[in-house]
Amino acid sequence: MTRITRRQALAGIGAAGAAALAKPNLARAAGGEVTVWWSQGFYQQENKAIINAMADWEKRTGTKVNLSFMTDPDLITKLTAGMQTGDVPDLVHCVTADRFLVPRAAWNDQLEDVTDVLDTQKAEFIPTALKASRYYNAGQKKYSIYSVPIKCSTVMNNVWRPLVQEAGFTDADIPKTQDAFYDFFQVVQDKLRGKGKRIFGLGYSMATKEADSGNLFAAFLVAYGGEKIVLPDGKLNIDDPTVRKAAVTALDRLTTPYKKGYVPPGAINWGDVDNNNAFYARQVVMTPNATISVAVAQSDKADQYYKELVTYGRPLGNDGKPMLGILAVSPCFIPKGAKNLDGGKALLRDFIQPESLNSYLKETRARYLPVMMKNIKEDPYWTDPNDPHRPVAVQAGLIQPTLPNWMNYNPAYAQVLSEQIWIQAEANITQKNMGIEQAVDEVAARMKVMFEKYQIG
Amino acid sequence: MSLARTARLSRWFSHTTVAIVSIVLLLWTLLPIYNIIRVSLQAKEEVLSSSVLPLAPSLIAFDTVIHQAYWLLSTFWSQMGNSFYIGITVALLTLIIGSLTSFVIGRMRTSKGWMLTHAALLTYTIPMSFLAIPFYSIMGKYGLINNPIAVIAVEVTFATPYAIFIFQQYGASIPMELDEAARIDGASPPQIFFRVYLPLMAPALVAIGTYALLLSWNEYLYAFLLLSGGSVVTVPVALGKFLAGDEAPWNLLMAAAIIYALPPLIIYYGFRRKMTGGLTMGGVKG
Amino acid sequence: MPTTATMGTAATRAVRQASTRRGGLFAADRYWAMALAAPYVAVFLLFVIYPIGYGLWLGTSLASYRTLLQDPIYLQTITNTLLYLLFGVNLKLALAMMLSGFFARPGWWFKVLLLAFMLPWAIPALPSYLSINWMLNGQWGLINNIIWDLFQVDGPPWLDSRTLALGSVIYGHIWKWLPFWTLIFLAGRLAIPRELYEAADVDGASQAQKFVHVTLPLMAGMYLVCTLLSTIWALGDFNAVRFISGGGPALSTHVLATLGIRNAFELGDPRLGMATVLTALPLLIPLVILLMRQLRRNEVTI
Repeated sequence: MTRITRRQALAGIGAAGAAALAKPNLARAAGGEVTVWWSQGFYQQENKAIINAMADWEKRTGTKVNLSFMTDPDLITKLTAGMQTGDVPDLVHCVTADRFLVPRAAWNDQLEDVTDVLDTQKAEFIPTALKASRYYNAGQKKYSIYSVPIKCSTVMNNVWRPLVQEAGFTDADIPKTQDAFYDFFQVVQDKLRGKGKRIFGLGYSMATKEADSGNLFAAFLVAYGGEKIVLPDGKLNIDDPTVRKAAVTALDRLTTPYKKGYVPPGAINWGDVDNNNAFYARQVVMTPNATISVAVAQSDKADQYYKELVTYGRPLGNDGKPMLGILAVSPCFIPKGAKNLDGGKALLRDFIQPESLNSYLKETRARYLPVMMKNIKEDPYWTDPNDPHRPVAVQAGLIQPTLPNWMNYNPAYAQVLSEQIWIQAEANITQKNMGIEQAVDEVAARMKVMFEKYQIG
Repeated sequence: MSLARTARLSRWFSHTTVAIVSIVLLLWTLLPIYNIIRVSLQAKEEVLSSSVLPLAPSLIAFDTVIHQAYWLLSTFWSQMGNSFYIGITVALLTLIIGSLTSFVIGRMRTSKGWMLTHAALLTYTIPMSFLAIPFYSIMGKYGLINNPIAVIAVEVTFATPYAIFIFQQYGASIPMELDEAARIDGASPPQIFFRVYLPLMAPALVAIGTYALLLSWNEYLYAFLLLSGGSVVTVPVALGKFLAGDEAPWNLLMAAAIIYALPPLIIYYGFRRKMTGGLTMGGVKG
Repeated sequence: MPTTATMGTAATRAVRQASTRRGGLFAADRYWAMALAAPYVAVFLLFVIYPIGYGLWLGTSLASYRTLLQDPIYLQTITNTLLYLLFGVNLKLALAMMLSGFFARPGWWFKVLLLAFMLPWAIPALPSYLSINWMLNGQWGLINNIIWDLFQVDGPPWLDSRTLALGSVIYGHIWKWLPFWTLIFLAGRLAIPRELYEAADVDGASQAQKFVHVTLPLMAGMYLVCTLLSTIWALGDFNAVRFISGGGPALSTHVLATLGIRNAFELGDPRLGMATVLTALPLLIPLVILLMRQLRRNEVTI
């Protein structure tokens, strides 16, 4: 209603040009077009797979798809502005929106409930993916489905085999349990430094930006028993002694190597690309990363992909038992105010059929994992024993036990991630020499303030 | 000390000063530019190496960009066209609107002229980047999202106040007698504007045209915010897309950036003689 | 020597006054004036009044300001912004003033040097700042590689400590915008009548004396206007921080413009983002008023 009157008012002022240009937009919405915003792929084929899938759907349904690719930060920026003003697309896929956009938008009742879409494939999704699509809506006072998972990933560890060998070790020397595994690379660094190399053992991301550093901290927090930091009913549980101890240990295990010089000093400024870059430049022996992208990006170099790069999943716990891991699930969702809600839903329903998803994910070169066990069972691609990386990722993400990230229980945790609370604690410890206990106290205090704002129930 | 010797000494001293200042200036100016060129000549992986000189310099990156042979650059020339379209339109509109307004304020001397000056300055109450959200919102309401007009409108809005300001200052140096004479010959205000005012303002027009073009050429925030579709984006937005991804070919990014920097450089060097005169501010003559 | 200067201004003032008197002649052309000013009025209403009004409205939520004041990063950001303006703007303009004198000298070398010197202004911001970011990288940046080659020591971590990172951002800002302001001052200097300097030469004034007694008084007003404009523009400069330090390390080098963007988009709270940048108004409004005043003063003398 306001739109029309504003436009008329505009014409009155004399913006004939602007008003005339507004017309094509109206026509488009009426013509049944579906506007889709999609995270730009890392490889051309990823984008092409989407372009082809959309073109195919266009042909089958006669509905035009207006597709735009954007980088994640750009997409989130535009969507945030768009939701403020009501100018939104009909379908969005954004890899990092699971933490940086969807939780808060669901809370504010800015997303369409997509339970009906998810239900069409409910039997196929792995349980963690299903849990990861639930968010709390404060307007409706309940949890519901606001995102449909299409791919997932879990933290992996990339190692340069030649550097390990140069230090006088073989693959078999690399320990299997959490502490011993990461400590091993400090020994490798010492040996290589002894040979005069300018190198660091551990490529930990520790920057207060983007997602890698947060993923790494979460992996460590869970590794030391902190998985109950937020309870499934959305309550903050940071004062629980087990959780607190896990937080202290995780911070200690991440910051102490940095302070001792086993992590490049610049890691406190690393964007998500930079640990990959440092690794490629052989400035670090190993780096944890959200996916197996480090290896996948080199897949055209057979020597590197098959011989020099080694991918490890989660180490075993210090007790030798398999550990829980966080499964990051990348969502599709529909903002409220979408002009063609039915079109957006129809397109999404079509896209999440197991076969469509599978062929799309193969184009990401398995940088992301399927969210359906059917894909793993029916397509040998995922378990190909000749591939040194893909089956390892499948094992860590889909076979071993995982849990969803905590913002699925309470959006306050999304704010913890956006504001990089844990990483700021790391910086306080490494840059300002703050004690670990004090750093955890500060984190707990800030978290309590944040959770105050998001009361569930 | 003889007078001749003092003169010689001071000349030597001044030559040395000039040489030192020149070297410092060149280093200061060219180091980041050298880094851009160095990266553009290197192989993808070498960017992160510890070399100061490119190990095996090659122009392959430029070739790739020119032939649009990399997927993120597959429409490079059309994006360049968008940048040109937006940049030139912004420059022209800024010149037209700015010169008309300054003519009204400075030459026609209407009693409300000060209101226009103040209005122009009011634009600066909130800096450009602070208004990202409001602009996104109003462009949505005007139906201009994904339309280059939106970006043009924003850039013209922020370029005109400075244009008006410079035009007014520069115009003050043009004798009113000329308008007067034309007026006596029966010329109307638009005739005076075109026949007297504009020709004499040429240096200022060149200077502000370049200023507006560069403002537009540099714009990243509004360009990506207001243009999302593949066919309407400008080169900076396309370059921004390199920043996501695990294997960005930085050499291509920098090669594309160098090509993108050429047009404004050529324009600046072509017009540089007029530039210096055109940016004169009245303060000096006041 | 000072006599000459006053005489010069007195003469111009006489001409100006004469023309002002004649201004009334055009009063009948009010409709023409309105028509010619219409495009700007339209731009102003559509793209200045509306967005600023909308922005102010977005920033009216008191809760946002409360959240802001609780945020330790915000307070640090205020300090950063002030340091950025204080050093960025003033160093840049002082350097520009000095360099304009350097480039005003006759001789082919200065013309050639000026051409090279203008490059940073002409090269787009994004790749330039990105290049500076890489150049300053502590592990593999060009600067530290050069330092390593020359002295076999690791250079300073330019972007990994708050002070150095803020310094790097200020450096980037000055690098990019120094040419533009030098050009402005150069234009100003070239507009100073040569006779004034010749008269000073006759009086036996030294270079420094000429600068203090001729150049400075004539350019003071312009310098002030440039400082105001540059401060306003630098306050809104988002690119330098975004691409050089990214606000890091540990969010310690944000300025209001980048923190506003972060709060609005990374934290997903547009109102908080708007509130963040609106807290610059107490600084901005006096600057704009001062600018209006200064320009009106000029207009009066013109």
